Amino acid sequence: MRTILFCAIISLLLITASCNRQVTRIDPATTPDISGSWNNTDSRLTAEEMINQALTGDWLTNHTQAKGKKPVVIVGMVTNKSHEHIEAETFMNDLERSFITTSKVGLVQSGKKREELRGEKADQQTNASQSTMKKFGLENGADYILQGSINSIVDAYKKKKSVTYQVNLELTNIETNEVVWIGDKKIAKLVKN
Amino acid sequence: MNKILLSCFLLLLILTTKAQEANTTADQNPNYKASLEKYKSQQDKLMATMNTTVQNTYQAYDWYEAKQERKQQRIADRRERSLYELQNFGNYYNPFNYYYDPFAAPYRYSPYNFRYHHWRRR
Repeated sequence: MRTILFCAIISLLLITASCNRQVTRIDPATTPDISGSWNNTDSRLTAEEMINQALTGDWLTNHTQAKGKKPVVIVGMVTNKSHEHIEAETFMNDLERSFITTSKVGLVQSGKKREELRGEKADQQTNASQSTMKKFGLENGADYILQGSINSIVDAYKKKKSVTYQVNLELTNIETNEVVWIGDKKIAKLVKN
Repeated sequence: MNKILLSCFLLLLILTTKAQEANTTADQNPNYKASLEKYKSQQDKLMATMNTTVQNTYQAYDWYEAKQERKQQRIADRRERSLYELQNFGNYYNPFNYYYDPFAAPYRYSPYNFRYHHWRRR
């Protein structure tokens, strides 16, 4: 009787232990490839490459020499034309952060965040004290706009699939429409099912 | 009197023209205002996607995935047909029902199909 009871308890323990979900924390820099889709590693590699290309490009020295001050950049739209849902904000934020930390490029807010800023400024016109109220019409005008696109090529047959992603970022002079820099990162993968 | 008014009008016209010229820079297209007005009226629409990722994705053909999908679809269809037949057995208008058709082979998953469900055979 005791043996049966012991076996029952052990088997119950084993069953409950096997049903538990396990979560292991890993280093974000070493995310493993699981499905072959766009993942954290791809985003990180793209960010690193773009930061390297953007901050060592000729456009930066050309602008500084011509204008005598660092360029101001605004982030525009990124179009994802690949076969997967990819959010560009993950690597764009890394690029923006590098602009600020290196102090080589100025950055102005854009999109919905800028709308919120203007809303706050409008609110200050009626609610803040005169000494602390921020004025309209004193924003920094951007010299360049950063736009981009993500493309992909898929080639699959039977259980093999090759996927190539191409991420392009472009810096364009807002006044002259001249494209001064194009960043490029290609990622190729071979997936076997 | 008329001469004074005319000279005042001409002076005003010259000053206005000069002021407009002062706003333009060298080599700027004199018709720039047409473009300015065109884009100013639709700037909100043009800037709606700023600092965002526009998802314009496409469906890539994957041989293996397509095969898996076809397989799943086949299973789902079969299950649906079987369920329909079970629910509507004996109904003359049931398209999967061979009850009234003595020449048709009975549907494989029908509970009345003795050919496949041998345990039902007496």
